[in-house]
Order: sequence, then C-alpha cells, then structure tokens
Amino acid sequence: MSTPSLPRLQHICASGAIAAIGIWITWLSYTQEPADAFLFPRLISTVFVVLALWTFGKALLGWTKVGNGLSTVALRRLAPGLLVALVYLFWGAETLGFYTAGAIAFFLLLTLYDPAPHNEAKTWIKRAVMTAVYVAVMYALFAMLLKIYTPREIFF
Amino acid sequence: MKKLIAGVALALTTLTGGAALAEYPERPIMMMVSYGAGGATDFQARIVTMTAGNEDALGMPIAILNKPGAGGRVGWNWFATQAEADGYTLGAYNIPHFIAQSVKGGVSYSADSFEPIANWGADPAVFVVAADSPMNSMDDVVNYAKENPGKLTFSGAGLFVGHHIAALQLEKAAGVKMAYIPTKGGGAAAMKAVIAGEVMGGVNNLSDAYRAEQAGNIKILGVFDLERSSFLPDVPTLKEQGYDIDDASVNFRGVMVPKGTPQEVIDVLAAKVPEMFRNDAVAKKMEAGGSPMHIMTRDEVKKMWEARETTLKDLLAGL
Amino acid sequence: MEFLNYFGAVFEPVAFGLLLIGTIGGLILGATPGLSPTMAVALLIPFTFHLAPVQGLILLGAAYTSTVAGGAVSAILLKIPGAPANIATTLDGHTMAQKGEGARALQLSFLASAVGGVIGVLLLIFLTPYLAQWALAFGPSHLFWLAILGVTVIGSLDSASVVKGLLSGCIGLWLATIGFDDIMGAQRFIFHPALGGGINIIAALIGLFAIPQVITMFAKGRRPDETEVIAVQKHSIMAAVREIIRRPRALSIGTITGAIIGLIPGVGGQIAGLVAYDQAKKFSPERAKFGKGHSEGVIAAESANNAMVGPSLVPLLTLSIPGSPTAAVLLGGLLIHGIFPGTDLFDNHPDVAWTFINSMLIGQVLMCIFGLYVASLAARVAQVPQYVMAAIVLGLAVFGSYSIQSSMGDVYVMAALGIMMYFLERFGFSAAPLVLGLILGPIAEANFIQGSMIAEATTGMGSYFFGGTMNIALIAIVIASIAYSVWMELRSRRYISKEEIYG
Repeated sequence: MSTPSLPRLQHICASGAIAAIGIWITWLSYTQEPADAFLFPRLISTVFVVLALWTFGKALLGWTKVGNGLSTVALRRLAPGLLVALVYLFWGAETLGFYTAGAIAFFLLLTLYDPAPHNEAKTWIKRAVMTAVYVAVMYALFAMLLKIYTPREIFF
Repeated sequence: MKKLIAGVALALTTLTGGAALAEYPERPIMMMVSYGAGGATDFQARIVTMTAGNEDALGMPIAILNKPGAGGRVGWNWFATQAEADGYTLGAYNIPHFIAQSVKGGVSYSADSFEPIANWGADPAVFVVAADSPMNSMDDVVNYAKENPGKLTFSGAGLFVGHHIAALQLEKAAGVKMAYIPTKGGGAAAMKAVIAGEVMGGVNNLSDAYRAEQAGNIKILGVFDLERSSFLPDVPTLKEQGYDIDDASVNFRGVMVPKGTPQEVIDVLAAKVPEMFRNDAVAKKMEAGGSPMHIMTRDEVKKMWEARETTLKDLLAGL
Repeated sequence: MEFLNYFGAVFEPVAFGLLLIGTIGGLILGATPGLSPTMAVALLIPFTFHLAPVQGLILLGAAYTSTVAGGAVSAILLKIPGAPANIATTLDGHTMAQKGEGARALQLSFLASAVGGVIGVLLLIFLTPYLAQWALAFGPSHLFWLAILGVTVIGSLDSASVVKGLLSGCIGLWLATIGFDDIMGAQRFIFHPALGGGINIIAALIGLFAIPQVITMFAKGRRPDETEVIAVQKHSIMAAVREIIRRPRALSIGTITGAIIGLIPGVGGQIAGLVAYDQAKKFSPERAKFGKGHSEGVIAAESANNAMVGPSLVPLLTLSIPGSPTAAVLLGGLLIHGIFPGTDLFDNHPDVAWTFINSMLIGQVLMCIFGLYVASLAARVAQVPQYVMAAIVLGLAVFGSYSIQSSMGDVYVMAALGIMMYFLERFGFSAAPLVLGLILGPIAEANFIQGSMIAEATTGMGSYFFGGTMNIALIAIVIASIAYSVWMELRSRRYISKEEIYG
C-alpha cells in the first residue's frame, strides 16, 4: 500500500457502515412482534452489534490489521464491468430474456476487458463468435439438458 | 423505448391470445409444491403428474418445482403473490394447512387467492407411539395426559398444518392439556423424534406411519378420520375410541391455479386433470407407495374448501 | 458378507450401462453451478419410473456419489462450490488452480473422494445396525450444541482476524433468519418479495464465492494478458497417488470426520467438509499453508464429503427416516417401486438393497477413474483469459441461481450478496465463515426452540440442555475449541509484525 492513510479512512467508513447496519437490525429485532419468533434474531444481532462496534473502534484507532481496501485505480477499472453486471443481473435478465441479455452482457464485457485492439475486424469477429458459442453452450446445458424454462419476456 | 416495446408486445399477446388459448397447453407446465423434494406431497405430486405428457392427458409434461419452508407458507405466499396466472404455473394445495394458516393470519393468501382444479389424495393423520411404548390405545394416552397435564410431549410437522389441527381436536375432545412439539423438516423429522424417544408420541401422516409400522419402529393407536383406512383395517378411528373428532385434519392434496387464470384454461384443466389422476399406472404406483388416493373434481373440491374453512374458523377461534 | 453375492448384478450389461451413465451424468450435473446433489437426484427420478427397481436405484446411487465429487470440479476451477459440501474445497483447491496446479488439485480431490467414499460405503455395509442407534442418539439438545460447536469454528476459518471472522459469521447467522420463521411461521426481515422464501443456500453460495471473483477480475482492467498467462502444469496420476499416500493425516481426519458427521440426521452433509478442513488445519504442523493452495486442505475436504455419502443413508435404509434432503429424494425413488426401506428392504428385497449399495461402491471407483481421466483436460480451464472467465462465470451464476427453483428472486439474492461480499473481502472479511453461519443458524435455532418446548413440558431447561453424558461431552468440546482458538490467536500475535500484515 502506497498511502497507509487511505485504507484507514476506508476502514473507518466500511466498519462504520457495518456497525450502522448492525444497530438497525438490532433495533428491528427488538421492536418486531411476535417476540417468540424474534428471540434468535435478538441474540444474534446483539452479538453482531458488539463485534461491529469493536471493529469500528479498531478502525478509528488505526489498529485494523487485515484488508487492503480499494485503490482508485482498481475502482476505475472495475466500474464499467460492475455497471454492466448490475444492469444484467437486476434488469436485463428478466426484461430481455435470459439468452438475449446473457449474450449482450457477455459481448459487452469482452469489449470492455479484452486487450485486443478495437480497430481490427478480426477482434470483433472473434468476440462475436465467442458470444455465439457461449450462448449455444448455455442453451444446450440449461434449456435442452436440464429443461429449465427461463424468463424470455420481450426477446428470447 | 421500453414503453413502445411493451406496448407492441402487449398488442401481440392480445392479438394472438384467443388462438393461443385454443391450443393450451403449448409448452411444458410447472407445478409448485410447497414442501421439499422427497416429502409425501412432493412424492405424490410427482406420481400423479407423471402421465401428463400423454396425448389423452394434457399432452405436455408437468415439472415439479419445490418451494419449501415454514410449513408451506413460503410456497403458497409465492404462489398467491408472484406466480403468473397464465395456466403454466400450477400449485399443489394441502388442506387444511393453507386454510388454517390463512385463518391464523400473517400470510398473503386465503382460500380466495386460489382456484381449485382437482383433488388426488386424502391422507388422514394418525396417532403414533414408539414400538416399545407402554401406551396401547388412545385411552392410555389420554389417561396419562390427565394425570400429567401439559407433560405428554408429542411431535407433528409444524404449527397450523394437519397434524396440529388433529392435536388441537384431540385436546378439545378429550379435555386434556398436552405438549405439542412442532418440528422443522416435516413429517419425517416428527417421526424421527418419536422413534428416537425424544417425545412420547406423535401425530403423523398415515402413509408415513404405515411404512414405519411395517418396519417395526412404531405402533399406530388411532386414525383421525370418519372411517378406518384400507391400509390399516385393524386400527380404530378416534371416534370409535370415544372421542368426538371428525375428518377436519385429513390432509387433502390436489392441484390449483392462482386467481386470475383465464376461465378457458381452468375449464381445460378441470376436465383433463381428474382423468389424468384416474390413470391405472398412477393408481398402481400410489398403492405401492402406501399413499391413499381420493379423486375429486373441481366442484367437489370447491365445496370441500368452503366446509373446511367454516370448521377451522370455529376450531381456531379460541387461539 | 452377504453383499458379495450381489456384485454380479452390478456388472450385468444394462445395470453397468446405467452405472456408467449415472456416474458420467452425475459428474457433469455436479460440476454445473446451482445443481446440488439433491436436485440432480430429483431430476433423475422420472427416468427410474420406467426401470426395474434395482436398475433405477443403481442410476440414483451412482448419480448421488458422483455429483458430490463433481461439485469439486467447479469449486476448484471456477470457485463456485456446487453444494455446501464443496465450500472447503474452494479454499485451497481454487488457489492451486490459479497457480497452474489445477490438474494436481483435481486428481487429489478425486482420489481423496474415492478413498473417503469407499470407506463410507464399507461402513454402511458392515456397521449399519450399530450406526443406526448412533444416528438416533442425537436429540434437539445435542444438535443444538453441535451447531454451537460449528459456530466456534467460524472465527478461525479462512480469516486472518478472529473478530472479523466472527463478525462474518454473525452476518451469516443473521441472513439465515430472513424469511418465514420455520417453526412459528412468523415473517422476519422480509424487505423485498424476493426474500419471502428466505435466503437459498445454493444461491448464496454462488453469489458469495463467484461474484467477488468476477469483480476482482474486472479490477485488473483491460490490459494485455502476456504477464498473466498461467502455465498449467502437467501432473501425473502416479504422483497424485503418492501424494495421497504421503498425507495419511489429512485423509484419515477427513474420512473419519465425514463418516461421523454424515450419520447425524439433518446436519451431516452440509458441514462435513468444513469441519474436516478445520480439524485437518488444527492438527497439521503446516497449518500456515492452509488457504494458500495446500494439498492437505483439498484432501481433507473432499475425503470428508464423500465419506459422508454412505453413512448418510444409514437412517434411511434401517429406520426409513431420511437423514438428509438427498436421502429423502432416494426414499421417493424406492417408494415408487413399492419398496419400503427398513427391515422389509433387507429381508424381502436383499437383491435391491445390496445391489444398490454395491453400485455405490463400484460407482466411487468409476467416478475416480473418470475424474482422473478428465482432470488434466479440465485444468486447462485456468488458461482461459481472465476477461473471458469473468464473463462466463457471471452468466453461469445467473443461470445457475435461477435454475435452483426457477425464481428470479434467487438471482437477485445471489447478485446482492455477491456484490456485498466483494467489498467485504476488500476489508478483511471472508465468505467461508459467513456461509457457515448461514448453514448453522437454522439448525441451532430450530433445535433450540424445539428442545426448549420439550424441556418446558418435561424436565426443565437446565437438565435438558446441560444434563446427560452426551450434552456434557459436546459442551466440553465446544469449550476446548474456543480455548484452542484463543490460544492460537495469542500465540500468533507474538510473531506477526505490521509489515507482514499490510502486504
């Protein structure tokens, strides 16, 4: 790590967020009814909060030993891929149909992360062929072999 | 753009709607079972739907989809709120389970959320004790419970399922207080508790109890039904043993669809599904597995649902 | 020795053909993300309708044994555990594959599976009557303590910091309470309709293990691959056999732990691999190497999860009580042919019973042969460029989690947990303890509630949960486990300096 101060700040934010979630679920556990059914969640969330606050305290004091945090470079690199994945997972798969969305996501990810030069026709043909093979294998495995009926809304 | 596509898609479905219905079913059908793979409901559902692909039945296979959890609540909640009412998603029902749960509350379904299609089986609850138990009749059980109020532990598959209804009926009819222990993991877990001696007795499915009795692990003391079962001709009903208990806890299993399914589809299913159940191969496999069949048509099931709802509302009113 | 008389039936042409189909099909199904052994066996049930009882059971038995081992393939190559049984295999197996030692990891895992599996089935053959009593001996209070024992393992499992390990475990325990409460039926923490059925363990596994890896690959960015091409090392089968023989400790710990835990109804299969991994680590002088591609980790985990297959059928075959979800599905396969497990099975249908058991024995060997054959081929997966791998794994995760119960909700749960896990991992949390919490939570809760209901009606909480030899023995092990973790933590503090940790 080049700058030790960056992970420290990140650790404070991350463990602070976890502690906040811990407090929230503890509050939920102790206020929801019927009490009988929430006995276990209460127990767990109490331990959760104690551990989360402990971690938060350690982060504040800079005692955190493990975890490298996120570098700006890594964040910038993963952002486009994560965006494609998010759209695919939470919207595309169900709205466009599994195979259409799968093919689009696959092709986009290849385009984003394949280091081959973008200005050669060969690269694009290679990507298109790979996408076609990928969709064919997925279709053979899940639709034909396992007979799983996937959402196929607007397209296939 | 999205609106446009959706609009076109909608127009297309409306245009082709009439034609598509005439050909129902044109692709494989899914049937949701709200218990795990291998349970009694799942096992029977797989047998009774095995001939669905035949030309004289639906002409398309039915695939079983398990959504287990919380005594069936998970599956039925999904079926009432998220399943598509297009005729390609069927559901298996268990009476009195889902009606009792809806009477008790805390779920998003009631008898009005579903349209019955047909009934395939009726599995009464029975009272069982371990093979080495000193109890040999329901009177022994009730006498013990009278001498030790609240101390007789007995297992069942969960709260507000058939077993629990039978337990409540027994406590009411005999005027005793007993300790009903619901188990996680259905009838199999409840039966294990009886055989292992964790509890003193249990309420269980007739089909599972019949098998365990054959294996020499348990004794069956009484049947919670109006008449004796053909599988167990020697075991008296609770009524014969002097307890006023009817068939409210008998586990009726059958097929239903979500409310809002097109009437044409319901009509096709209501006509063909009972015939599918009457198949000889189905009857043979059900008999071999020790599962009692009881085929009812849509109209008969409707009446049965209504009658159960009234009984259960009375029984559960005090809880 | 009665079982020897029925070996002939396994080698009849039709039966042997089915055995081959079951084994190869099982390996493929097991290696498919999202398909647990239970589902694979359930998928095959319809085929057995048309077969004779013996033939049907051969197919199911072979499929059961090989799907459990097949799960190791995706665990090692893709870091997607096929079932909870394979979680521990990912910890060292995938690291080995990333180092180019995929062939070695796969060979070791198949050999260890076969050894564990054969011993497990032999236990089933020779000790069934004694084991049946053992399987029944675990009541709610014992299962509760057993789950607590599992929780104490959480802190030390694949995590550099005990507090963060425990916190990961707590997150898992809490996630497990989402959905309908299993006994009371009350709704808990259902923030979105997708959570109505709770968090499906297989979907969670796919998300927690596969998605962080996909995002990690994204984080490497678009850059030429030359520096990163993995040389997939060839590894001879004989060398793998020699290595297995040189690691008797991991192999025996795995096999014994798997066989004992496999017997316990309702707990067994899911945690056998993790517990064996943890034990092997604690008893190994090379414990620092665990998690960094150490072969003992793979051997212990895989021998345990196949050793559990035989014993897990004991309660089913003797008492007609299915002890695991897969056993429940096999029960269906028997009932369809009018065969009731229990005394009836061995007295009146010995041909069915023993042919079934023998087929699992032969199936283990066949599975091993096929596995070894494909290992060096399959290991080439590691040569697939990272960006292609990321795209494939993402797609498999979507299809796999959807196919569990044809539900979009499971895909959302998988995605949300996976993305959350990536960020948690960056801050020193890890997926294995989280999953262990997710598995153990419901076991601990249901048995605690059931036990306390029985206790209140009978002897009272104190004597029910703390009385009796078995309770006391289990509590002693729990205390010993905690003491060991604390001692190890204190000892390691002395020599870990700050530079090492910030690596």
